[in-house]
This record gives sequence, C-alpha cells and structure tokens, in this order.
Amino acid sequence: MIGTVARKEIVSNILSYKFTVVLLLMALLLAASLFIMHRDFAERTADYQVIRPAPGAPTAVVPPNPLSIFAKGLENAMTRSFEIGVIGVDVRAGQSSGNVIFSFFPAPDFLYIVRVVLSLVALLLGFDQISSERERGTLKLMLSGPVSRAEVLLGKWLGNFASLAAPFLLVTALGTAAMLFDADIRFSAGQLGRFALILALALLYMAFFLSLGMLVSALTRRSATSVIALLFVWALLVFVLPNLGTLVARQFVATPSVQALNEKRAQTWTREILLGIAEGGGLGERMKTISREEDRMEEDFRLKFERLVRLARNINRLSPAAGFLDAATGIAGTGIDEEIRLKAEVIRYKNSIIDPVIADLLAGKRDPAYPAFTYRYRPLGEVFASGAMFDAAWLAAFNILAFALAYAGFARADAR
Amino acid sequence: MWKTLIAKELRAHLLSFRFLAGFVTLFVLVVVTAFVLTGDYVRRLDECSARRTELDRYLRTYAHFNRIGNVLRPAQPPVPFQALVRGLTADVNMEAFDNDPLPVMFPLIDLTFIVTILVSLIALILTYDAVSGEKEEGTLKLMLANGLPRSKIVLAKAAGAGLMLLGPLVVSLAAGLLVIVLDPRVDWTGADWAALGLILVAAAAYATVFALIGILVSSVHRSSASSIMTSLFVWTLLVLVVPNLSPYAASFLSPAPSRIKVARETARLTDVDRDDLGRKLAAQYRAEVLREHPVLGERLTEAEVKRRVAEDPQYRAAYEAGRAAVQRAWDEANRVQNAKADELRRDLRKKEEAQTGLARAISMISPLADFSYLATDLSSTGTRNQAHFARLAGLWGQAFYRDYQPRKIEAFRAKDPTGDPWNTAIDMSDAPRFHYVEEGLGGRVRAALPPFGALLGFCVVLFAAAYVAFIRYDVR
Repeated sequence: MIGTVARKEIVSNILSYKFTVVLLLMALLLAASLFIMHRDFAERTADYQVIRPAPGAPTAVVPPNPLSIFAKGLENAMTRSFEIGVIGVDVRAGQSSGNVIFSFFPAPDFLYIVRVVLSLVALLLGFDQISSERERGTLKLMLSGPVSRAEVLLGKWLGNFASLAAPFLLVTALGTAAMLFDADIRFSAGQLGRFALILALALLYMAFFLSLGMLVSALTRRSATSVIALLFVWALLVFVLPNLGTLVARQFVATPSVQALNEKRAQTWTREILLGIAEGGGLGERMKTISREEDRMEEDFRLKFERLVRLARNINRLSPAAGFLDAATGIAGTGIDEEIRLKAEVIRYKNSIIDPVIADLLAGKRDPAYPAFTYRYRPLGEVFASGAMFDAAWLAAFNILAFALAYAGFARADAR
Repeated sequence: MWKTLIAKELRAHLLSFRFLAGFVTLFVLVVVTAFVLTGDYVRRLDECSARRTELDRYLRTYAHFNRIGNVLRPAQPPVPFQALVRGLTADVNMEAFDNDPLPVMFPLIDLTFIVTILVSLIALILTYDAVSGEKEEGTLKLMLANGLPRSKIVLAKAAGAGLMLLGPLVVSLAAGLLVIVLDPRVDWTGADWAALGLILVAAAAYATVFALIGILVSSVHRSSASSIMTSLFVWTLLVLVVPNLSPYAASFLSPAPSRIKVARETARLTDVDRDDLGRKLAAQYRAEVLREHPVLGERLTEAEVKRRVAEDPQYRAAYEAGRAAVQRAWDEANRVQNAKADELRRDLRKKEEAQTGLARAISMISPLADFSYLATDLSSTGTRNQAHFARLAGLWGQAFYRDYQPRKIEAFRAKDPTGDPWNTAIDMSDAPRFHYVEEGLGGRVRAALPPFGALLGFCVVLFAAAYVAFIRYDVR
C-alpha cells in the first residue's frame, strides 16, 4: 500500500508545474556550480604549479584539494603558502584575495547549493502534501480506502523523497563524471568515498526539510499559510541561526583580533632584533627567542579560538544547516578543524627546521636545503570522532523528530 | 479612487497572517542583531584603545627606523556604523598566519543581510498572489466591472505593497537604533544619520523591486500555487546565485596573476637582487672615494675611527664622503630594484582592478548586490572606504617618511655623528600618527549612485512589465 501511495506521488509530481521548476532549478544550479568550481580548481592547480616550493626550500604549501570543488570551506586559507623565515612564518594568500567581490558573497559550491537552494526545494516539495489534498478533497477519498494514516504519510514521504533524490543524484553523478574526464583532476578512491559520504549527508539534510514541510502542512489548514510559515522557518534555520550563533559566541569568548595579534608579533620581533644589535652578539639566540615568543602567542590565540569555535559550533547546532556544513567540510578536509590542524603542523615544521634556518642565515649561506613539508589530511575516523558523527546523528534525529511530529499532526488532522 | 484602492490593499495586508509573520520576524531579528553587533562594536573599541597603548609603549622604548615600517602601520579603527552594517570589516585577513575563518564559513548577520534576504522574501510573500489570488477569489472581475483602469490597479498594488513593507522596516529599524543609541559609547554623527536615511530609502527601493517581481509573476500565472513557485525561482537566482557566481565568472573572463607569484618575484627583486646590486655599486663608489681620499684605506678599529673623526677634520670629511658614497650606492640599488618591483605590482593591480570591475558589473544584475554595494559604501564599510583608507594611509606615509624620519635622523646625527640612526632605539612618541577620518558624505553618496540607479531602473522596467502583463491578463 505504501508503494502505491509513493508511486502516485511520483507520478503526480512529474505532471506538476512545481516539479518542473524544482527540477530546472536543481539541474541548472548544480551544473553551473560544478562547472564554475571545477574551473576555479583548475586555476588554483595551475597556480600551485607556479608557487610550489623548490626542493629544499623552507616553505609549506598544500596542493589544492579536489574535494574543494564540492565543499570550498576554508580551502583558500589552507592553500596559502607558509614561508619559514628567521622571524616567523610569512604567509601569502592566493589569487582570489585581489578581487574584493569574492569577499562580498559566499562561494557557490555544491555545499552552498544543497544547503541553501536544495533545502528550499525540499521544503517546496513538502509544504502542501497534506493541506492541498485536503483543499482538493482527495484526502477524504484516500483515507476512505483501506489505508492507514501512517501508510499515507510514509508513502507520501517516500514518493517525494524519491522524486527529490533521483534527479539530484543523477545531475551530481553526471557532473562529477564529466569532471573525471579532466586529466588534471584525479580523485583517489578515498576521496570518492568521502564524496559519497557528503552525498549521503546531503540526502539526510534534504530529507529533514522535506519532513519539516510535511509537518507544517499537516498542522495548517491552508497551503498558503503553510508556505509562508515554512519560508520564515527556512530563512531562520539556514541563514539567521548559524550566522547569529557565531556572533553570540563572540560575546562570551574573547579572542584577540587578527589585527591586534599582527601588531604584537611585529613589535616582538623588531624589539628582539633591535636588542640583539644593540647589546651585540647572540643574534641567533634572539631569533630563537622570537620563534618561541611567536609560538606562545600563536598557541594562546589558538586555544582561545578553539574555545570560540566549539561554543559557536554548539550554538549553531540548533540549525541543521550549520551542522551539515561543519560535517561536510570536515569530511572534505576543508573545515575549521582541518585548518587549525594544518597550522599546528606548519608550526611543528617551523620548529623542526628553525635552528638550521637561523644558523644558515647567520652564516650567509645562499641556497640551503631543508626537509620538505608534507601534510596528510585527518583520517575519516578522526573527523567523525571530532564532531561529524554527532552532526550526522543530530541530522538524523532532526529527521525522525520532524517525521514523528508530522505523523502526530496528521493523526490528529481533520481530513475534511 | 486612489485612496480607496490603496487603502484596500493596506487593509488586506494588515489583516493577513503573512504580514504579521513577516513583521514579527523582522522586528525580532533587527533588535537582536543591533544588540549583538553593538556589543561587538564596543568590544572592538576597547581592543583598539588597548592596541594604541601598546603601540605608545613600543614607540617610546624600542622604535628604530630600520623596522618601524613593520610596526607603525595605518589601521582602520571601528566605525560606529559597524553596529548596523558589517560590510568588509570582518576579520578575514588571509595574509596573516592567525586568521579568523569563522566569518568565511558563516557570514556575519547585519542590516544588509536582513534587508537583502529577509525583506525581499517578505516582499515576495506579500505580492506573489496579488493578481492571481484576486482572480481565484473572483474579486478581480468585480473590481474591473467598476470601470477602473488596469494601470491604476497595478500602481495601487505596488504602492500598497511598498508602503506595507516600509512600515515594519521603519518600526524595526527604529527599535534597533534605540538599542544602538542607548549604548553610551556609540557616537553617531549627523553624517551617519543622513547615510542611514539614504540606506532606508534604498531599502525601500530594493523591497519595491521584489514586490514588483511578485506582481509581475502573479499576473503571468493563472494560479497562485504556480505563481509562488516561479517567484521563488526568480528570487533564488537573483538573491542567492547571481552575486555568488559573478566573481568566479569574472576571474575566468579577465584573469589576473596570482598574488603569491607576484609577491615572490618582487621579494626576490628587492631582496637578493637588491643586495647584489647594492654591494656591487657600493664597492664601485667606494673605490672612487678611496682614490680621492687615500686616508680611508688604512685599517683601523672602530674606536680609533671614532677618535680620528673627533680630532682630525680632514679625516672626518673623508669619512663622511665614504659614508655618503655607500649610502648613494644603496639608494641607487633600492631605486632601480624598487622600480622593477613597482612595475610588476602595477601590472597586478591593473589586472585585479579590471577583474574586480567586471565582477562588480556582472553582479549588478542582482538587486542584492546593488543594495550591498550601496549600503556598504554609504556606511564606510565597503570598497569605497578601502580606497579612502588607502589614500589616508598614503598621506600619513608621506608625513612620516618624508618629513618626520629625515628630521629625526638629522637630529640624531647632530648628536652622535658615528652612531647608526637606523638600528638605534629613538623615542618616536612624537611621530605623526595615522588618524582615520570617515570620508565626507558627498563622496559616499556619489559612490552609491550607480547601484541606486540600477535599483530604480529595475523598478521602472519591472513596473512596465507588470503593467503589460496585467493588461493581457484574462480576469475570468
């Protein structure tokens, strides 16, 4: 019986104007996003070929991560070049920092499309499931047949989820397959696996909004009311909560601003160099002091910042959109934790070579050789343990809750 | 008749659930945002003054000219408007090791965000069934049976929706401003209030654009159910997609070299290559001086040099000539290499500017981008302010490096002719400090005119389109 209801939903979806719009939007945006982010990745790869450190250079640069096509996250921060010098780590950003328009609007990657547009699409599929059938009078007819309300609801959910998931997976698969033809991009099996996990999360995320739509449609008598209520809830969940959450977290955890930290660093190293010159000798010792001081400041900042991130993340978990973003960027290796870890690795690298770097500078050596920097992304196990698992479970819980409430609402609903 | 039509629209909206829901959401959000952002602003003020104290201490004790450029840098203080519009002031500094990536992941919420996302959504929700809904209820036929021209009906609908949006916006903003102004440390000037007024006018224009889109779409569709789908489709494209795609599209159409690449190249030119050239020139110039003053050829210890400079005026002249030659050589090396590096930087800047301009032009198809540019420029938190800041920084740089530094070095040399003025601590607490003043309102308004014109243009075009669509509408 559930199958019959689901089939009916799929067929009526295919015939509806709503579904045409939804399909068009989905295909257009996913294709455009994949195309544009793919080109962006190709450009960054070309950039990397130019800036990749020569053998022996004391520079840490991570090659672009192919998964950033789907989840850009902090990729721009991660692929900066970190040059180790006697007075600390010299950071240089890539190309996109020159065009300020980039900083006005978030990147239109796959994750953005799913998080913002496809959640809306899922809502629009779900918003009139119950109320419109009631308005048309078909709900009465359906319930007069030998079918329980639970079966109707589940069948509707399955039918709509299938009509959402099938084109979504199809377009994404086609786009990704087209990318595999590009010889410059090579996804390893592990990366494809990670992408599959991101897809699964995306489906879970869209399913939540579908359930939410059905919940509201079971509670309201008119489709018009239901769509308006849902649009506000959507704006709140997707835009307001995550962005306000980080601001609120800042009220509780004081972190020094980047500007303040930069000024302090500059004051420290210029002071030490000056004292080294004025008091004579021991310039090497002074440089080591600088390195230690910088590490201390960095660690202080990192500890505070980690606390801020933790708090912001916990506040943001009120919104499934933020949890989804955190988990997906974590899996892709472009998340906040990954970037913090990369910087810790760079510090470790600096400390492993700082003594020879200082000695070589003082000796006036022109082309010294140092061991190369290598970075390995966090293994999936660690990603899941550090929050992605919780986010995924939280998403599932949101789903079940919304569906259960929808059932409760539907069970109490007047079918007339 | 006008009055009746508009009053009917207003009444219909006032009684509706959607208006109430929109109003409440808007009000709560504006007040909460104003509260949180004011706290943020005050925190920044505190930090700014702490930083200033720190800098003062440094300048008194450790300032020396060789590395002062790394320490004494122009910095943007928080502007009071930041409690409403964040713009580009978020702490996303990619050139620093300790960056703060949270705003990259979760863009901060502010008035611009509330207007661009929420108000446009409310505008669409109010108007998506303006025509099709009345048709479905059968009231459209009745209205037209009274001999009303269709143009009046469209205009009344647009005016009604516009007024209906302006009301909640003004009320919410007033409440938000109350929160901001009640904080004793926020100090708004007359120019700020004027800028806010202009932003409000632009917000009304922005909301009208979306109200007109709603009316246009509703007079194309027979049923409200399809009308809302099309409206949301258009909204998604204009608000959520076009602006985000524009910089990427521009970077393909008008590529610019990578900043890292240029930085590497210029660093090599002004560091290793400069040293090579400087050493070569110094040896050459010194050899010339040595021919004129053979006394300099003697090998002496530093103490002996000091003694002879003090006692022997002839030796002192030779010593100073030698010193001047070395200085000349390094100045020349610096000049040559800096010119080469500047050429590269100029090229980069030109290409980046071309790319930014193109991205801006593409994004201006979207009313959201227009409003964002306009609001950030008017509130001194956008690109216009960045240029203004760079100009001020340039002026300060002249005051410091052209006037103050030579004067100070001369004074130092008069006291201690053999001392190194570059690597000795000099009390610089009297140095000219960078002082940020907001740009005058006139310049800001001029910058905001093109996006405002685009918004008005959208309004006119959309109104014409809505009128045409409504004329062709079958009211049965």
